[in-house]
Amino acid sequence: MQSNAALEYDYSVAKLFTYTTILFGFLGMLIGTLIASQLAFPELNYLLGEYGTFSRLRPMHTNIVIFGFTLSGIWATFYYVGQRTLKVSMAESKFLMFIGKLHFWLYFFGALVAVVTLLMGISASKEYAEFEWPVDVVIVLVWVLWGISIFGLIGIRREKSLYISLWYYIACFLGIAMLYLFNNMEVPTYFVSGGIGSIFHSVSMYSGTNDALVQWWYGHNAVAFGFTVPIVAMIYYYLPKESGQAVYSYKLSLLSFWGLMFVYLWAGSHHVLWSTVPDWMQTMGSIFSVVLILPSWGSAINMLLTMKGEWNQLTENPLIKFMVLASTFYMLSTLEGPIQAVKSVNAIAHFTDWIPGHVHDGVLGWVVFMIMAALFHMAPRMFKREIYSKKLMEAQFWLQTTAVVLYFTSMWIAGITQGMMWRAVDEYGNLMYSFIDTVAVLHPYYTIRTLAGVLYLVGFLMFAFNMVKTMTASRKLEEEPQFRSPMAA
Amino acid sequence: MFHWLEKNPFLFSVGVFLVIAFAGLVEILPNFAEASRPVVGLKPYTVLELAGKEVYKKDHCIACHSQLIRPFKAETDRYGQYSLSGEYAYDRPFLWGSKRTGPDLHRVGNYRTTDWHENHMWDPKSVVPQSIMPAYQHMFTNIADIDTAYAEALTVKTVFDTPYDTPNGVKLGTLDEAKAAALEEAKAIAADMKNQDVKDAVANGQIPEIVAIIAYLNRLK
Amino acid sequence: MNSLMIKALAFAAVLIIATLVVVKQMNIDLSDPINMITMLGAVAIAALTFGVSAKYVNQMKTDRAEGELTEENWDGIGEYKNELPGGWAYSFLGVLIWAMWYFIAGYPVNAFSQIGMWNEEVKAYNTKFEETHKNADEATLQQMGESVFLVQCAPCHGETGDGLSGKAQDFGSRMSKEQVLYAIQNGSNQLGYPMGAMPPMMAQGADAEAIAEYVAGGMKGEQPAAFAVCSSCHGADGQGNSGMAPNLAVYDEAVVSHTLEHGKKGQIGKMPSFKTMLTPVQQKALAVYIQSLSAN
Ligand code: HEC
Ligand code: HEC
Ligand code: HEC
Ligand code: HEM
Ligand code: HEM
Ligand SMILES: [Ca+2]
Ligand SMILES: [Ca+2]
Ligand SMILES: [Cu+2]
Repeated sequence: MQSNAALEYDYSVAKLFTYTTILFGFLGMLIGTLIASQLAFPELNYLLGEYGTFSRLRPMHTNIVIFGFTLSGIWATFYYVGQRTLKVSMAESKFLMFIGKLHFWLYFFGALVAVVTLLMGISASKEYAEFEWPVDVVIVLVWVLWGISIFGLIGIRREKSLYISLWYYIACFLGIAMLYLFNNMEVPTYFVSGGIGSIFHSVSMYSGTNDALVQWWYGHNAVAFGFTVPIVAMIYYYLPKESGQAVYSYKLSLLSFWGLMFVYLWAGSHHVLWSTVPDWMQTMGSIFSVVLILPSWGSAINMLLTMKGEWNQLTENPLIKFMVLASTFYMLSTLEGPIQAVKSVNAIAHFTDWIPGHVHDGVLGWVVFMIMAALFHMAPRMFKREIYSKKLMEAQFWLQTTAVVLYFTSMWIAGITQGMMWRAVDEYGNLMYSFIDTVAVLHPYYTIRTLAGVLYLVGFLMFAFNMVKTMTASRKLEEEPQFRSPMAA
Repeated sequence: MFHWLEKNPFLFSVGVFLVIAFAGLVEILPNFAEASRPVVGLKPYTVLELAGKEVYKKDHCIACHSQLIRPFKAETDRYGQYSLSGEYAYDRPFLWGSKRTGPDLHRVGNYRTTDWHENHMWDPKSVVPQSIMPAYQHMFTNIADIDTAYAEALTVKTVFDTPYDTPNGVKLGTLDEAKAAALEEAKAIAADMKNQDVKDAVANGQIPEIVAIIAYLNRLK
Repeated sequence: MNSLMIKALAFAAVLIIATLVVVKQMNIDLSDPINMITMLGAVAIAALTFGVSAKYVNQMKTDRAEGELTEENWDGIGEYKNELPGGWAYSFLGVLIWAMWYFIAGYPVNAFSQIGMWNEEVKAYNTKFEETHKNADEATLQQMGESVFLVQCAPCHGETGDGLSGKAQDFGSRMSKEQVLYAIQNGSNQLGYPMGAMPPMMAQGADAEAIAEYVAGGMKGEQPAAFAVCSSCHGADGQGNSGMAPNLAVYDEAVVSHTLEHGKKGQIGKMPSFKTMLTPVQQKALAVYIQSLSAN
């Protein structure tokens, strides 16, 4: 075993991003729970006047969990994993330290502007690309700073060969950079019109069907390079590290990585099936989505096989539980997605609640589970204290697992039912259900989903509490743990 | 076998970039070459309609409503003729949506009317008792942003050659002309409405958001 | 099979059965190919995910980790040189071959047109529909009318056709006094009857009031003298002179079809035209259904 005792890694940037991960995670899921309850109980739309309707809050939810929580999580882990797998400390370079901190503060500033503008209703109304151009500019700058951090660290590395996690972080960086830039090509109207109207307003460079194509080329791959690639980066580091097991197969890592890179980008048109996009392009999206099952499952299987023979760890260490279940949910959403991309299935699934169901299998079961596990793993190393409570973590695990199961089973049933009701015809061949019938029937499932939201949110609060206690009140550690994270009963 | 590549971060990154950029090119370029052509007779949005579209974006109706009728019998029976690519030629951005918590709206102008929208936006449950759509009463007092809508029209006219100010087409003109035209349009809509505050505002030369969004919804045909 | 696998598959089965039960309650026809493929897809998702992950989790119980380690080591993490898992590798290969086949032979990418599919579907359907219901009886038409009404008309006229407290026509009676007065004052020129336009202001003051009262009351009791001016077009009985002008007494087929064809803007508000959205049989069915609403 090589030891890193000689190197003092500097976690100040990782810590900052850890705080925002927790903050935005809570905020985003609080709003998620609120909008879930608004669909079950519409009176809740009027808590905050015009700012509290479902429609204003929904983009707040998606953007805070994506650009707030998930990005923070990605960066908290990157500023940790990057140093350790490259075997350099940020303390070795004043420049990189500066860039890292600037990265954080500019990001935090951008996030505040983004939240305020969205609440005011300043939105481009393109899903996951709602921000108007001034916010885009900040995001691009933040991204450039992250790039400097990545390649700066790589430039001064001691470990010659890049660890798998870094492959994925690099891919995340490059993928999002390309996608974000192209999808946000927009013309600010204030300047073209010579100073008339709102300075925030812009029009897309693309129109109609072309705009849709670019948007979903982006939208699908924003999922790929935001919710998949960097989370895979995490599991490849934290699961072997926490368990002390070697990664099962290099070949499998390699094929899964390059397979994923190649196939993902082709699948975007499964979001515009049966639309006015040319037929051949739709068909291509469907085919590649099915192919995509394998590279996705490759990473998940590689991780599950890494735990081969370690049943005792699975039962004893809640962190391992989180990560093994995350792999399983990753498998669920990457099989569900491709099947929803089959044209016949999409004819029913598209536009229904089955899609948010699929989404939250991925985000709640995979993204959030993995990020929480990563933060738990880092806490004893960054704050030099043991994890505050294992019992609490166990309870949180079961609570949130129940929540995810409730979420996806209810939305699965709701979506399939609604999709089939829209198509149903009576004995004469006329439509059997008015639209409102298909809304009213969903009430019980919306209620169950609300319950799921509450449970999940409570679980997240337990996580936040456990983290804060770990940072402030837990037993101090003399020595950095090598593998398994120490935790108090 | 690939270890050499993993030791060379630069080549590695270039490799990743090429692999991911490739698909984008093949997917995006062909359709761009054949730029979105408007269907015959399609007119650009009037300034009031654009202001209404802005309200649609501001209050994010796209969270619940699609504007894409797929070519299935069940959908054409419910909403009318399936959507055609050329109908979206002036939509920047496109507003297809990805979720139908509420019904599709691409042709709602065919089967709903000003007075119905007025009732519905004020209190959806008054017309559809089981509705879960929020009421948008603030639209009856918020004033629509006609300046920005004009700026948008002027921008698409200048940058993308959207046919304003053509014979028999939609006139844009100067900001003042456009404002006057928008007010005329608004008056016609307000005449079909019952809300006295809205009628008074329009009589005083102001256009509440509700009037703009109804103009937009009526245009969706 | 061990207990973990059984639990996983049992969970998948419960999920599928729950879905089926709910769907069946809504009278969904599962033999529809699209519905069937969707359900099969759901079965595949549930069974494969839970089955395969249970298989790997089981290996944590039974197998042992082994293999040759590579020389690298990052932050204490090692890596085995193990071969690819067979099931995964063969599935990947299989799917790739399937994709090529699909592209090239099975289903060449440009061989499908969704619009063509729609045309066929709708044509086949419409022929059959008109054929079957050409001579539909009253009861059938009424039931059919009700279902179309609930989908297309209820958002304005209410599920019971009561006009939602004055927001649209109330089909419980023919017309309200205000509506008749409005027509007298403003005339009417939108419904496309053979008689053409009705001029405004053919009766005034107390006369108009009396007429309106009479028409709104269902044309019962004594006819006011002033109604004579109306009779010339609408007939002495107000039945519309065999379709020359609207029937003011009851909803007949002509009233409904003219309204659906042209829409109507009146005292209450505006009703859109449904010209392109309904077939002739559906219009007839709606007329029968609307008549039945005021009959009781
Ligand atoms: C929480 C979801 C939700 C939001 C947000 C929402 N709607 Fe709706 N909308 C519905 C539902 C559900 C229906 C069907 C029931 C009804 O008619 O009220 C509907 C119906 C409609 C209809 C009638 C369409 C028809 O065919 O009957 C229109 C028009 C409409 N909405 C416009 C809007 C506009 C404009 C906005 C944004 C300012 C908006 N909606 C926001 C859920 C929503
Ligand atoms: C010159 C012929 C003529 C005379 C006289 C006439 N009507 Fe009419 N009326 C029509 C026609 C034609 C229509 C349909 C107009 C349209 O297409 O909108 C009509 C429409 C109406 C309507 C609206 C019916 C509906 O279903 O919307 C009412 C109510 C009505 N007439 C009442 C009267 C009354 C009361 C009088 C007498 C004061 C009268 N009409 C005199 C020709 C006439
Ligand atoms: C967008 C709202 C709306 C929809 C949808 C609608 N209606 Fe109406 N309808 C109205 C209004 C408003 C009136 C009353 C017009 C007036 O007299 O002011 C009306 C009036 C009528 C009348 C009476 C016309 C007359 O001349 O007396 C009939 C018949 C009618 N509707 C049938 C239907 C049928 C059948 C459907 C469905 C296929 C339907 N409507 C859908 C709004 C609607
Ligand atoms: C093999 C991998 C996947 C494929 C092929 C796939 C496919 C799909 C399909 C077909 C849709 C529905 C499009 C529609 O009809 O509206 C969808 C939606 C979505 N998926 Fe996946 N999916 C995959 C994995 C994932 C994962 C792992 C996540 C998240 C962790 C995810 C997040 C989403 C999101 C957020 C949407 C919603 C997009 C929208 O707003 O419409 N997907 N996916
Ligand atoms: C307490 C937990 C959560 C609850 C209750 C919740 C609830 C919701 C609800 C109600 C919607 C709207 C669905 C609709 O329009 O029908 C939604 C959308 C979405 N949420 Fe969440 N959410 C939660 C957590 C998260 C997290 C943690 C993420 C990401 C990391 C996330 C990502 C998304 C995305 C991407 C969408 C858009 C899906 C689409 O358009 O199809 N959510 N969520
Ligand atoms: Ca933007
Ligand atoms: Ca969506
Ligand atoms: Cu996708």
